[in-house]
Amino acid sequence: MKKFNITVNGKSYEVDVEEIGGASTPSPVRRQETAAPTPAPAPAKAAAPAPKAAPAPVVEGGETVNSPMPGTILDIKVNVGDTVADGAVLVILEAMKMENEIMAPVAGKVLSINVTKGASVNSGDVLVVIG
Amino acid sequence: MSVNKLEDLRQKKAKILAGGGKSRIEKQHSNGKLTARERLDLLFDEGTFVELDAFVKHRCTNFGMESVEAPAEGVVTGYGKVEGRLVYAYSQDFTVVGGSLGEMHAAKICKAMDNALKMGAPIVGLNDSGGARIQEAVDALSGYGKIFYRNTLASGVIPQITAIMGPCAGGAVYSPALTDFIFMVDKTSQMFITGPQVIKTVTGEEVTAEALGGAMTHNSVSGVAQFISNNDQACIEEIRRLLGFLPSNNLETAPEYLCEGDLSAVNDALDSIIPENPNKPYDMFDVIKQIVDNGDYMEYQPYFAKNIVTCLARLGGKTIGIIANQPKVNAGCLDVNSSDKAARFIRTCDSFNIPLLNIVDVPGFLPGTEQEYGGIIRHGAKMLYAYSEATVPKLSLIVRKAYGGAYLAMCSKDLGADLVIAWPSAEIAVMGPQGAANIIFRAEISKSENPIETRARMIQEYTDEFATPYKAAERGFVDDIIEPATTRPRLIDAFDMLSSKREIRPAKKHGNIPL
Repeated sequence: MKKFNITVNGKSYEVDVEEIGGASTPSPVRRQETAAPTPAPAPAKAAAPAPKAAPAPVVEGGETVNSPMPGTILDIKVNVGDTVADGAVLVILEAMKMENEIMAPVAGKVLSINVTKGASVNSGDVLVVIG
Repeated sequence: MSVNKLEDLRQKKAKILAGGGKSRIEKQHSNGKLTARERLDLLFDEGTFVELDAFVKHRCTNFGMESVEAPAEGVVTGYGKVEGRLVYAYSQDFTVVGGSLGEMHAAKICKAMDNALKMGAPIVGLNDSGGARIQEAVDALSGYGKIFYRNTLASGVIPQITAIMGPCAGGAVYSPALTDFIFMVDKTSQMFITGPQVIKTVTGEEVTAEALGGAMTHNSVSGVAQFISNNDQACIEEIRRLLGFLPSNNLETAPEYLCEGDLSAVNDALDSIIPENPNKPYDMFDVIKQIVDNGDYMEYQPYFAKNIVTCLARLGGKTIGIIANQPKVNAGCLDVNSSDKAARFIRTCDSFNIPLLNIVDVPGFLPGTEQEYGGIIRHGAKMLYAYSEATVPKLSLIVRKAYGGAYLAMCSKDLGADLVIAWPSAEIAVMGPQGAANIIFRAEISKSENPIETRARMIQEYTDEFATPYKAAERGFVDDIIEPATTRPRLIDAFDMLSSKREIRPAKKHGNIPL
């Protein structure tokens, strides 16, 4: 119960005001105490790829040509020791239902071929090294 | 007027025009760079450049700066004409205290920006600066902040073009990053937040400035820059060319050029570009060159996310923006980088009333943990958002594959394409025939006596029935199926029809594009 003095035309009235509940200012939703979700484990950095069936070791010092996306090696167009021009087709990678031509980023000699026909590759895998 | 006063003015002007002096200008030239004023002379039509604020001086007295004279405060600002149209520009002068940015240097740039915005004219910034003028301390920082703020206010109102023609390090990189287009000059420009020395002390990595932030790095790896040129002259020529594709502001349309030749000519070359085998790649540029005026286009980010092509071109003399999948690179799939590239380009075109032509041949989104962890959902959403948000005329031309979510992301009818036209080679479906047949006919295939044969038959059945544009056309998702040879006249007519397009969107403060 609250008391107010209200003056109307110079005459003072004493008024009692009773609050009968109901809608009041909503209070913000409180944070529920729950266990924090466990964070996802950091994505395993290409979790130490299982040693693949004897691909030639990556030759140091050359320009590596990596697979741009996961797929299957459909064909290999060059041999170790071949001299290739910038833009020459090295490997046909079947991915996304497309026979993708993987081309030499630089001119040079094929130092190693690190995949075999029919092999499955992931993006980033070394396909060919040119030096 | 007394002769003395005139002579006095002439001497003052001559001193300002001499910039950092003969020896520094020679050094600039021997580094393969032009001076700030030479660059402006190339940018503007001959004799049209008007310099403002040449007499501005810095107010710094720290560390002996009171005795340092900096002609034009290390930045030349003003306006002029490019192909007869008003353009504002500022050009940092590396020969004057290293083009370093202080309070008054920034104030000159801000004034040029304010005027460009008021006049509704593009602004071109030619950057060549050692960075903040350390002696000016927080005044220099405040200068950068004022420029960033204006870049943001002007965004979507006037075209903002930046060329990096020397060093651009630390906070200085963010003004270019806020503009619509960044040009870089090969071998003479670098952009980075922290330079090679800091990186070496902090992480131990050794990297050259060129490998870290050179023109090719930002054009091919980071996607920060959109254009690369071999030298200053070529860079400025490209800026002039770009301006020709753009309107002066968001209330105008791009200048129209006279298009010679028969606008209704059919072109049989288009009938034979798409290979018979849907698994064979081809070069999307072969299609684009046959469609646009004179086979001429200006590619946006030619070295970044090459699996999507973005370029400005003209159809019947009017500018259009083209977004096209490139089957030759990564099968033309959509991924994190190609989504970002396309979304940014779409919004750039929409800001400046440039109609969009989407040429669709997309097998889908690239699968893999790398893409999912990289946030392909968030990045792919940018494309959906950008297309849906764009109110310019949107025309989609489906030339081959249009599968699944990627079909929607390439501006399907449902994302607001005003017109969808397909070639008979189009395959509009939820997924490729092989995957679809495996799922739909799984029971038949496994139960049959010869599963391999049954599977092949089912794939063929699905291909004939669904890997066509006709199912989509039956539902009205494709407005028309045309002979490829008739594409160019059909598109010219369609964009002409769409030129009066009006579309009202709900009022809002701004949308919330997923970033």
